[in-house]
Amino acid sequence: MTSLPVSRTNLANLVITSLRDVLEQSGRPLPATIDESTLLFGKGALLDSLALVTMVVDLEQRLEEEYGLALTLADDRAMSQRNSPFRSVGALVDYLEQLITEEHGRD
Amino acid sequence: MSIAWLRERMEQFADHPAIVWNDHPYPYRDLLARMQAWHAALDQHDVGPGHVVTIEGDYSPNAVSLLLTLIEHNTIVVPLTRSVAAQRDEFLAIAEVQVVVSFDDNDQWRIERRAVAVTNPLTRQLIERGHPGLVLFSSGSTGKSKAALHDFIPLLEKFQVPRHRRVTLTFLLLDHIGGINTLFYTLANGGTVVAVQSRDPDVVCRAIETHRVQTLPTSPTFLNLLLISEAYRRYDLSSLELITYGTEVMPESTLHRIHDLFPNVQLLQTYGLSELGILRSKSRDSNSLWVKVGGEGFETKIVDGVLWVRAKSAMLGYLNAPSPFDEEGWMNTQDVVEVDGEYIRILGRRSEIINVGGQKVYPAEVESVLLQMPNVKDVAVVGESNPITGQIVTARFNLFEPEDPNEFKRRVRAFCRDRLAPYKIPVKIIITENEQHSARFKKMRKA
Repeated sequence: MTSLPVSRTNLANLVITSLRDVLEQSGRPLPATIDESTLLFGKGALLDSLALVTMVVDLEQRLEEEYGLALTLADDRAMSQRNSPFRSVGALVDYLEQLITEEHGRD
Repeated sequence: MSIAWLRERMEQFADHPAIVWNDHPYPYRDLLARMQAWHAALDQHDVGPGHVVTIEGDYSPNAVSLLLTLIEHNTIVVPLTRSVAAQRDEFLAIAEVQVVVSFDDNDQWRIERRAVAVTNPLTRQLIERGHPGLVLFSSGSTGKSKAALHDFIPLLEKFQVPRHRRVTLTFLLLDHIGGINTLFYTLANGGTVVAVQSRDPDVVCRAIETHRVQTLPTSPTFLNLLLISEAYRRYDLSSLELITYGTEVMPESTLHRIHDLFPNVQLLQTYGLSELGILRSKSRDSNSLWVKVGGEGFETKIVDGVLWVRAKSAMLGYLNAPSPFDEEGWMNTQDVVEVDGEYIRILGRRSEIINVGGQKVYPAEVESVLLQMPNVKDVAVVGESNPITGQIVTARFNLFEPEDPNEFKRRVRAFCRDRLAPYKIPVKIIITENEQHSARFKKMRKA
């Protein structure tokens, strides 16, 4: 298997940047630490659906601008995963890796 | 003669300028003389009652006098302009055009015959009635262009009531109900139509100054261009008495800025559809988006927040689509409105409403806020589907100066936070170089 065009660390940083932005821009409090275990959406999580969709679209735009990756993160497939890719930062990074692997594998 | 009354009026105004074309005035007498020549030319070319004739041109003296002559000749007129060049063949086929008269930049014309028989039942019905007709194509900003067939007689009837004599700039062309309305309103009242070669704000403002234009019928998109170009600073626009705006929802912020700039000019919202004609309207005041619409020959009702209209001047139907009228002749305009007594406020086209998690967002309201941001030249707000919230609000911006996209996004959201409910704040923010309005200066909201 060839290595992915974006490292896991970079992906996690991208997700965290988008998350910070959306929290700041919508006036929500920032937690003391944000890492892969931070819960995004669901019970006791940081975001409501509006903030989540804003973060996801923002992330899509950043992936395209910074890495030339045109990915659709929110679609029927993402919504029908047994474990939601939007439950935590780590789950979203996992899902991104999975999508990029598929995209990359097709080249 | 189907419009004898109009000819009588024109004879009264003989020496008064009827149109100004290429900065040159042409009096009513001149138009009447050209109409005489057109009657002879049409007879010579064997163009008679019931023929379907296209005018490819603008407000030149020859094109305008041909339009009037074709009405007197009881033909079906299909005005086309250069802005629809790409669809020309399609439109000629839909309307079953038999004769094309095209005008060049010097108002020289040539005539072309097409071997076409009229088969459309609606057109045939009008021909049997012995009345002149008018075919107008919808702009097709949403979906396929529809061809509305009008009986010209009821369409022109309302102009028999004498109204103001004004110098009016033509902003919309002959292929648009607004352009037709401006032309006949002006001619019926001895006014002057000032034609412009382009809809560039500087060109329009120069024409207002030069010809002391009193009335400017226009669109919110153009008024926004006027503001951002600052063309109004470079010309003397003191002759202006009335600015009318229609064809799309006016962003409130644009209206207020225009009112601040032109405190002595009356601002009037107009309302019309190519299927129905132009209703009479009265804005609550110049700074208000509340408007009363109706007038002689028009009835209105609101059903589930949507405006319906029944008009004496309504078209016979579409040549290429099912009738939009119900059994009693009412048409659903698809415009969602708020009601306050006799006044309505148009919120937007039903098809353009964005549904974010069950909550409705009207593009014009969001655009009105975004247009107030520094460095924003223009913006179009559209809905995009997204499985998380059903749809999201997407805003496409034109900027004056380039800006870092992520910085700009932050700025947009910060600006919106105190001004819009969270679900109305754009989720997707795009910066584009493309112009966002059509040739008719109407905002394009294609996703």
